[in-house]
Amino acid sequence: MLRDIIKKEILETITSPKFVFTFLLCTILILLSVVTGINNYKAEKQEYDAAFRLNRENLESQPSYMTLAGIGTKINKPPQVLSTIVSGIQQSVGRVATVNIAYDPNLEDSKYNSNPIFSVFGALDLSFIVKIVLSLFAILFTFDAIVGEKERGTLKLTLSNPVPRDRIILGKTIGGFISLLLPLIIPLMLGILILMISNISLSGEDWGRLGLIFLLFLFYLSVFFTLGLFVSTLTQKSSTSFLILLFIWVTFVTIIPKAAVMTASQVYPIPSVHEVTAEKDAYLQDIQTEAMEKRQSYSRENPFNVPQSDPEYQQKLDEYRENLRTYIEELQQDLTRRIDEKNAALEADYQSKKDKQRQYATNISRISPASALMFGSMRLAKTGINAHDSYLKTIKEYKREFTVWVNERMMQTINMQTGQQEGDTDLSTMPQHQFQPERLSDSISGALSDFIILIGFIIVFFVGAYVSFIRYDVR
Amino acid sequence: MLEAKNLTKRYDDGLLALDNLNLEVKEGEIFCLFGANGAGKTTAINLFLNFIPPTEGTALINGIDVTKEPLKSKRYISFVSENVMLYDNFTAFQNLDYFAKLAGKRLLSKKDYRRALQKVGLEESAYTMRTKNYSKGMRQKLGIAILMIKDAPNIILDEPTAGLDPKAAAEFLDLLLEFKESGKAIFMSTHDILRAKYIADRIGFLKQGKLVMLRTQSELEGEDLSKLYLHYMHEHGEVN
Repeated sequence: MLRDIIKKEILETITSPKFVFTFLLCTILILLSVVTGINNYKAEKQEYDAAFRLNRENLESQPSYMTLAGIGTKINKPPQVLSTIVSGIQQSVGRVATVNIAYDPNLEDSKYNSNPIFSVFGALDLSFIVKIVLSLFAILFTFDAIVGEKERGTLKLTLSNPVPRDRIILGKTIGGFISLLLPLIIPLMLGILILMISNISLSGEDWGRLGLIFLLFLFYLSVFFTLGLFVSTLTQKSSTSFLILLFIWVTFVTIIPKAAVMTASQVYPIPSVHEVTAEKDAYLQDIQTEAMEKRQSYSRENPFNVPQSDPEYQQKLDEYRENLRTYIEELQQDLTRRIDEKNAALEADYQSKKDKQRQYATNISRISPASALMFGSMRLAKTGINAHDSYLKTIKEYKREFTVWVNERMMQTINMQTGQQEGDTDLSTMPQHQFQPERLSDSISGALSDFIILIGFIIVFFVGAYVSFIRYDVR
Repeated sequence: MLEAKNLTKRYDDGLLALDNLNLEVKEGEIFCLFGANGAGKTTAINLFLNFIPPTEGTALINGIDVTKEPLKSKRYISFVSENVMLYDNFTAFQNLDYFAKLAGKRLLSKKDYRRALQKVGLEESAYTMRTKNYSKGMRQKLGIAILMIKDAPNIILDEPTAGLDPKAAAEFLDLLLEFKESGKAIFMSTHDILRAKYIADRIGFLKQGKLVMLRTQSELEGEDLSKLYLHYMHEHGEVN
């Protein structure tokens, strides 16, 4: 009997105009998003490769370590292959960081920054389609699942037969969900096919991540599907059911996530990046002044007064130079250490405040399944805040390595008399920026809470629908 | 057989919709229940179908208490409502097949469905048509075909002739008489006094939830049922 109800539910849905409409729209949107995602990824990859080459050429053209230290090197963030499906925050955060000895590096030059029109409406990626369009379809498929049958009178006819109510609600859930998945799965398969033939190489781990993202999509749609079913068992008119669901949908998808961020910014205010940078700059200036004074003071206290007629003049001059070099090197190291310590302290304080604010916003916004979907899918696609922070952290670590290296090279090659570099700039020993992306197991444990939240919603709504339908007044 | 024993329903808002109803509809009998709108006819049907629980008393189908064994009792009853509502995107065959399976008739073939549809007089061209394009009469016929396929010994009909044209109504009543002859117990709520007199073995008048009059066909012999109805209602202050 359950099979008959499921079959009927599928047949009833796929013969309805709303199914045809949904199927066509899903096909168009999903394929469009996948193709757009692939094209964007390819363009970003080309841009990344070009920027990488350009940076190398730029480094090689630097006349000295001094200019290299000032101009620095550029770290270009490589595009993530799964951004074709979940673009996450990749478009709105920077892609390039300049690493030099002076400034604290930050990722700048986002795609949205370079062309603000993109930020007006955001990306039309698959996660957006699932979050907005398909969740709305899930509601459209279920808002009248029970109440509609009551209005049409078919529920009375059905229940005049020896059919247990739990079979009906179970059959409606399974059949309805399969009907909802059909317009999603077919274009999705086509999308994957396009992905496979588009010369974008996905590793085994990427496929695993993709599978988990799709699983998260399914759970998310199940939340709205079971919610629709639940509300349709609570109401006596399908129009009321639809209005209630629309209100909940708007609250879940747009209001809660935005309100959470706003509330967090009020509860945990953080200084702006400019304030932090200004503080760092002020300290740097103090340190530079101090360095200047110390060097002048050293020169005053240790003058080189050996006459050229002295037979050991050259030897003493070399000794003097060596002492001066050692002094400057030590001074430089000390100052660099102090700048780094100060910067690290300021950064840690800023980061801690930011983390608190973010944690608060994340926790509140997870009341909404839409937030759970976004956080979970971004974590799995490595396009979220977490991935961005990890990447930025490695750049900051790299800045320290780069600074130590370039300072050493400057000291080793500088001619104290002329102040000019001796010999060519050798980049072969220059440290390279390394980034180890998050392992799949870590991503899964990071997204686990989002899976649990969505499953929790599904259980609550389904049990609600089940209990409510058992008591439903069919008159 | 359908039985109501002291069947009473008081809704949550305090309205006494059915007051101590006692009646029996035996095999091979047609019982017509009259009453103004809100008199309690539909409440009685809802109680027999276990759509609502009784406040007091019991409704029995073939001796089975519908509240204690609802699924078992529903094996022995077929129901047709005033507006036979079907799955609009389904054809007659698809609707028949689905409801046959719900009724537990899993071994029926398309041939059986065709036979039932022929029997109720639905035109062949309508068999594969989506029922959203059906007229009320066609829906009624398909509803009867569903009832025939289930082949339950008891039939409950809620205002079955309302809105039917005279020809369709006459055809429908002929089918009811056939069911009666085959031994089915038929309980029908209706306003259609003239046609009820033609087929009913007994009639009952329900007023404010109370069965205030019960007559057999022989007792109605020579009576003008419309006058009786109006007179009766007048006496009780309902109709002027």
